[in-house]
Amino acid sequence: MAWVYLILAGLFEVGGVIGMNKVAQRKNLSSFAILFGAFACSFTFLALAMKTLPMGVSYAVWTGIGTVGGTLVGMFLYNESKDWKRVLFISFIIIAVVGLKITQ
Amino acid sequence: MTKYWLLVLLAGLIEIGWAMGLKYAHTIPFWIGVIALIVLSFYILIIATNKLPVSTVYAVFTGIGTAGTVIVETLLFNEPFSMTKISFILLLLVGVIGLKMLSSEKETGDA
Repeated sequence: MAWVYLILAGLFEVGGVIGMNKVAQRKNLSSFAILFGAFACSFTFLALAMKTLPMGVSYAVWTGIGTVGGTLVGMFLYNESKDWKRVLFISFIIIAVVGLKITQ
Repeated sequence: MTKYWLLVLLAGLIEIGWAMGLKYAHTIPFWIGVIALIVLSFYILIIATNKLPVSTVYAVFTGIGTAGTVIVETLLFNEPFSMTKISFILLLLVGVIGLKMLSSEKETGDA
């Protein structure tokens, strides 16, 4: 069940990144509600997952899902650049973050 | 453009504060401070997304927060720096600097 919570936490983080896109486009109440609501759900599920899973692994999986998902959403829903160099550099950051969280 | 990158850097530095705060927050005023910092860092990020792609901003923000937390905790708790940690932090720097250079390529004027 903890893993289900963790995956949900990661997916809600992607929702939070979608909220950031919505706020970037239009600063109205519904955009901010999606942004803060999604991140609040994400943190709640992360906390639930951490009751049984080790902190480092939880953070790593959570950030991994959130950043990869957020990048894909940006490229395919919001027409962000699909330049391979950009994808490569973002991948470097994701690998580094996941690595640092796991080894903590 | 550089100004917006500095905002992402600032938001990342604030994230280091609240990420560590989350671990040690035990009293109500402390929690209020942590929540205020979370809101502030996101407020600054949103300004940055006016000019930079959201996923670039978010990846860099997460990266600075993570690497910064590792560095600060190592300095505070005298943990030895492992080669693994240093390698990951260098890889992260390559990613951040690379993204910054890519965004500068497309700049017209306001560097």
